[in-house]
Amino acid sequence: MEEHRTQPPEWDDFDAAAKRSIEQHVRNSFVHTYKPVMDDARYRSWESMAEYRQWCDDNLPAWLGYSR
Amino acid sequence: MAQFEFSNARELGQVFKHHGVKYLFFGRSGAILLGYSDSTQDVDLYLDKDKDNLHKIVAGLKDLGFQLTPQEEDEVRRGKAFIQLRDGPFDLDLVFAPDGIERFEDAWKRRVENHGLPIANIDDIIASKQAANRQKDKETLPRLISFRDWMKR
Repeated sequence: MEEHRTQPPEWDDFDAAAKRSIEQHVRNSFVHTYKPVMDDARYRSWESMAEYRQWCDDNLPAWLGYSR
Repeated sequence: MAQFEFSNARELGQVFKHHGVKYLFFGRSGAILLGYSDSTQDVDLYLDKDKDNLHKIVAGLKDLGFQLTPQEEDEVRRGKAFIQLRDGPFDLDLVFAPDGIERFEDAWKRRVENHGLPIANIDDIIASKQAANRQKDKETLPRLISFRDWMKR
């Protein structure tokens, strides 16, 4: 009788990643893409996470996904 | 901006160890160092807000090549809740009060050492994203939770 797979499809990705060296895994995972507004300042800081969230809501394009 | 490589993580670990900085790789970058396959562009560090640690962080950042003005150094030493550095050797976010985690010490006790680096437990990374509840967190959480299941299989 044929055995049916029950493991979620993304586990194949996790299995494959585990077989790569950590150097290759990190190289594959950190992808630098320009994020408008967010990446336009060399330094930013906020006194609280609530202040940071509000700044994201007020300033970042919605499609970046930083809004709640 | 150079892309973050594992050699950067190793150097950060060596420099922060030299200075005695107490920190954890956190967020999606922390999960990636635990083996999670996904993409991100910046490194998140959760840092102990202890006064002594705050001074060590500034020294460590300067050794790593992050350029800070005196005012910015002062803000790091004050442990402002969230600091973004975008003109160092890689993009780095310093987090002193992440959503969903009450105390650094609790996360420190639950940490995982992987590749010689201190990394937040996957449960804490997930808890923080659940608490933050941004659109991008909602999108990534099912895969992250599946990764936790994969780790514990």
